[in-house]
Amino acid sequence: MAFGIRLHVWGQHGLFTRPELKVERVSYDVMTPSAARGILEAIHWKPAITWVIDRIHVLEKIRFQSIRRNEVGHKAPAGTIKRAMNRGDLEGVQLLVDEDRQQRASTVLVTPAYVIEAHFVLTARAEPGDNEGKHLDIFNRRAAKGQCFHQPCLGTREFAAHFALIEPGAPLPARNPKAQTAELGFGAPRDLGFMLWDIDHAAPGRPSMLFRAVLQDGVMEVPQPGSAGVKR
Amino acid sequence: MSMLASLVRAHDRNEKAPPYGFSSEKIGFCVVLRTDGSVAEVVDLRDTDKKRSPRMLLVPQAVKRTAGIAPNFLWDKSAYVLGVTAGEGKRTAEEHARFRDKHLEWLAEATDEGLVALRRFLEGWQAEAFVPPLWPDDLRDQNLVFRLASEFTFLHDRPAAKALWRQIGAEGASEPQICLVTGEAGPVARLHPSIKGVWEAQSSGASLVSFNLDAFTSYGHEQGDNAPVSEAAAFAYTTALNGFLADKRHRIQIGDASTVFWADCADAATAGEAESLFAAYYDKASEDDLAAGKIGGRLEEIRSGAQLDKFAPELAKGVRFYVLGLAPNAARLSVRFYWTSDFGTLTANYQRYLSDTKLTPPPRDGWPPLWRYLVELAVQGKRENVPPLIAGEWMRAILTGAPYPLTLLSTTLMRIRADGEVNALRAAILKSVLIRNFKSKEAPVALDPANTNKGYMLGRLFAVYEEVQRGALGGNVNATIKDKFYGAASATPQKVFRTLDAGSQNHFSKLRKQSPGRAVNLEKLLTSITDLMDPGNDPIPASLNAAEQALFGIGYYHQRSDFFRKHDDKTSEEPVK
Repeated sequence: MAFGIRLHVWGQHGLFTRPELKVERVSYDVMTPSAARGILEAIHWKPAITWVIDRIHVLEKIRFQSIRRNEVGHKAPAGTIKRAMNRGDLEGVQLLVDEDRQQRASTVLVTPAYVIEAHFVLTARAEPGDNEGKHLDIFNRRAAKGQCFHQPCLGTREFAAHFALIEPGAPLPARNPKAQTAELGFGAPRDLGFMLWDIDHAAPGRPSMLFRAVLQDGVMEVPQPGSAGVKR
Repeated sequence: MSMLASLVRAHDRNEKAPPYGFSSEKIGFCVVLRTDGSVAEVVDLRDTDKKRSPRMLLVPQAVKRTAGIAPNFLWDKSAYVLGVTAGEGKRTAEEHARFRDKHLEWLAEATDEGLVALRRFLEGWQAEAFVPPLWPDDLRDQNLVFRLASEFTFLHDRPAAKALWRQIGAEGASEPQICLVTGEAGPVARLHPSIKGVWEAQSSGASLVSFNLDAFTSYGHEQGDNAPVSEAAAFAYTTALNGFLADKRHRIQIGDASTVFWADCADAATAGEAESLFAAYYDKASEDDLAAGKIGGRLEEIRSGAQLDKFAPELAKGVRFYVLGLAPNAARLSVRFYWTSDFGTLTANYQRYLSDTKLTPPPRDGWPPLWRYLVELAVQGKRENVPPLIAGEWMRAILTGAPYPLTLLSTTLMRIRADGEVNALRAAILKSVLIRNFKSKEAPVALDPANTNKGYMLGRLFAVYEEVQRGALGGNVNATIKDKFYGAASATPQKVFRTLDAGSQNHFSKLRKQSPGRAVNLEKLLTSITDLMDPGNDPIPASLNAAEQALFGIGYYHQRSDFFRKHDDKTSEEPVK
């Protein structure tokens, strides 16, 4: 891969919510491609490029923990806010947390760590000054220095992601030796079922795109956009 | 495989499972129609037992009714079908009208003899016609089905009815989308069928996949569109899950987590054996059923620590096992744990749990089931007071062999401080957390007179002081030093042990007059403990951390049970408290 990058990410917890179990949240076993894309976009993104995830290496055991928290049951309605802005008065805009409380449980991943392998392609919005080398350099420089536009996260905002660039040619960070089990697909591939690949925001109804996730020797291959592996 | 996918697979493997679009419902009576729509007779389908339990019949799937009025196809309760109820139904007339109108619409073009008869019956029926003896009073509020007088198949089982039902199902279908369970395009379930039988959840059933508040939705999607699951997959997973929850052989209760489990392997008998063994691992009730026979013997071997692949290779390899813990939260269900692996791993992890909790002397009545441990964590020992989340987290740790939740340690210590009770179960919990989470080699199975851990020694010392007091004052002291000082002694020993030592001098002088031999023995014991202490290393520290407090509890338990054991040997001279 000519313009490929590799990024090591890790954190205390991760929560890559399954769509079917997102009210009482349960995480996927492995980071989703769209979550990986979000991390890369936090470090460097311009309208001229779009990130494509190639594969995800799992470095730690897949361990879960349950957390129960207080949350709010409703969204602030956009219409009410718009009316308040037109009116110039904040009456009735507030969302009172103690009157609208919802306890929700989350099943989260404990100490996840991954290596994201990805590359980017130029989009139709690329200008004459844009070229691959420039954006690759920007990404590598920013990632090596730890710069980001906003703090990247492991699935949800409360679980911050630490990241470190793996320089071209450098070896991958060592996998936890205890994690080299059948659970991570050592010996035989492990079928993780269908996983969210991304959401098609351009299509009407914003449908989800799925792919069949398989872990083999701790690596999850991600199908390329437009390939048969992406179900839509 | 994801949880829903494995449930769908379990449904597909089950040959007895109801086919798509049908569900098993409790039916009380059958109305027998003539072809002209008049009623020939009304047959009681209920069982002849005392409760007159209704018969389970496969009928077109029930609609999800919450607040609205929606009739089922070709069957329903008497309020809908006939417009009669036992109580005072405000909406009864409306419900019957809706049932009639819907069916007249559905059956408008039917040419089948049976369906035409039902249409004629509904056109002519008036609620006033409901009079005994043709219509028994028992029929009120029961579910009803129909059949023709000339035949014995129910109306909903006629091929024409089934074809019509498929057609009705297809009409309401949405645009096909990719299903996140099967990966195939199909109409998406808007509302998923209810899951019934989860402990403490709503009796009418709760939903595993639901979006009942707008904070749970995304991208402007509504209801089931937030998580596209095809109608067929939603039907399959709910049917499988409801089946497991209703079946004693597939379900146990662990704390507040209703736990279902199932095995998946080529041989049904082996799968059944694995399921029975799992139930016996964690629940005593099912164990008693198996005590005799092959499974009971195998259970004993597993408990004694024998490796599964040595004596039951067919169980150790090739049996996939699934465990799912569900707990209610508001009107929803939440997944406490979902675990899948082969049965050999499951058994190995269970054996590890057993060896971690092993303690001498053991609890009085053999292997305690998991819920007995959980009750020790509950206020007043009530099952409903078991702290939420702990049961599920602990069970997950046992299944996976992962470290235990640390709240297990703090909750146990808190309960001991609150009610001053250190029994075998609590000491076993403390020990297992120490071994698994702190990799502690100092947590002994039985009384260890050479153990020099501060917490352990102080726990033993505390037990000796208590014994001295008991020897001097007898067993009827209102508040023993344990009742007064256990909490302080285990957490901040420096504050307490000086007082205890001073108090023990008075007890000793009294004891010497009563039974000099016993006093000497206890003094010897006391010295043997204090001799272990290293004065340079602060033997009585200002505070003990949680792990040391746990060892304090274990030391206390060991030393105290040692006194009682000796009493047992020489026919106790004092009443054992």
